[in-house]
Amino acid sequence: MSQIQKSQAELLYDAQQRKVRQFRTNVIITWVSLLGFLVFVFSGPIKIDTQFIQRNYLFIATGVVDTFKISFLSITLAILLALLAALGRLSNLPPIYAISTFYVSLIRGTPLYLQIFFFFLALPQLGIILPGLIAGVIALGLNYGAYMSETFRAGLASVGKGQREAAIALGMTSGQTMRRIILPQALRFAIPPMGNDFISMTKDSALVSATGFVHEIMWRATRVGRAEQNNLEALIVAAVFYWMMTLILTFFQSRVETRLARGDR
Amino acid sequence: MTPIVKVSNLDKYFGRLHVLRNISVDIQPREVVCLIGRSGSGKSTLLRCINFLEEPSHGTIEVDGVKVEGGEKGKEHRQLIHDVRLKTGMVFQEFNLFPHMSVLGNVIEGPVTVKGMDRNKAIAIAEENLDSVGLLFKKDEYPNRLSGGQKQRVAIARALSMEPKVMLFDEPTSALDPELIGEVLNVMKKVAKEGMTMLVVTHEMGFAREVADRVLVLAEGELIEDSKPDDLFRSPKDPRTKALIDRYRTGER
Repeated sequence: MSQIQKSQAELLYDAQQRKVRQFRTNVIITWVSLLGFLVFVFSGPIKIDTQFIQRNYLFIATGVVDTFKISFLSITLAILLALLAALGRLSNLPPIYAISTFYVSLIRGTPLYLQIFFFFLALPQLGIILPGLIAGVIALGLNYGAYMSETFRAGLASVGKGQREAAIALGMTSGQTMRRIILPQALRFAIPPMGNDFISMTKDSALVSATGFVHEIMWRATRVGRAEQNNLEALIVAAVFYWMMTLILTFFQSRVETRLARGDR
Repeated sequence: MTPIVKVSNLDKYFGRLHVLRNISVDIQPREVVCLIGRSGSGKSTLLRCINFLEEPSHGTIEVDGVKVEGGEKGKEHRQLIHDVRLKTGMVFQEFNLFPHMSVLGNVIEGPVTVKGMDRNKAIAIAEENLDSVGLLFKKDEYPNRLSGGQKQRVAIARALSMEPKVMLFDEPTSALDPELIGEVLNVMKKVAKEGMTMLVVTHEMGFAREVADRVLVLAEGELIEDSKPDDLFRSPKDPRTKALIDRYRTGER
């Protein structure tokens, strides 16, 4: 045989790779089994009304559009607020610092569910009536903004002080330093956690359904489920759509993360 | 001759710590001045006071006719500091290249953002300076792909592209592996030869001896020596200078 003898290091590496592959295969097999088990349970032991699903899955699926819309608008608002709150937290002007910490404390100290109802149900009492979608976006945006401000703060803190000094030494103003040097680096640091926040936002947007004004997935599922006494089927369909959305978003997130990891840090 | 940098009666406190004591130094145009001293002697602080990375507590800094009183406040003061920074280029021990910009991006950043220079003109200047530090072929790389010596040469090109009157170097080779120090010192020699006024905080005695016109020695925040390198190395006036030079001779830092 003309095959070249493998070195010890290569053999060790091969053995390690075999272990990794084996682990991955076993994980996939277990996943598929669990999924198969779920399908089995709902097709035999637990009777579900498949005709109901056939009649209504499109109606529920249409909610994906609103779920996505509300999540997207909310995350945009949240990023804006989080950025302002994080910058405010770095300010050495007492009122700015206070506004930022007050906002974060108030929002993090109360339930999201309460905040959503506040904008739908409490504000109209004061004569402020917001369209359903807008109220939902404001509530979710305010809430996530408060949490994300911590991510941004960590991102800003991750940029070394040498970067600021180099920018200042070139003659940049503090605004230019922030815009050109600090923020781009901080944002890069904050993008992966922001992806996580967006994914959890798509699911938390279901809470908005409780008010009955935004016709996203959860609202549609509970509506048809209650009307026809088929809550089980309706919720299963909704769960499948949420899960699929999450899987797709997670896929894109991991792509972005590998690109960032490869990037030019 | 009018000095291009004039430091007069400079004092600097960090809290109650008196790190610079009544320092006065003049630097003439095209002069290369090395600043040496033990760590903690205040040499980096003195350098950083010149472009106001540290605000002096008292005293005046004058760079190319722009005179700034230390310890003042207000808009006028900030404008003067800005003018001084435009006249000084700075090279840091840790390079501090911008990691999210390419090499070329780093070098044109100052001219384009600070001076509002036309991009193409900035690129032309940047390429000339990158060529002069021998790194034009790396212009599209990102800093994380460069060695320490290459990073520092890019940092020098970045500072030069602002077309400063004075270059300040803060221990430019202290963060480098020994085999990479030479390439940076060579670039600095070249910059010196082209007539740039330079103030260099360094531990490289060979460089000080060979390139400097004058060597300043700081100890405990005081300027204890200001001499031509040959005089300084041959017959130091202050025993602390002698101790410092001896330590370098024996290779101990």
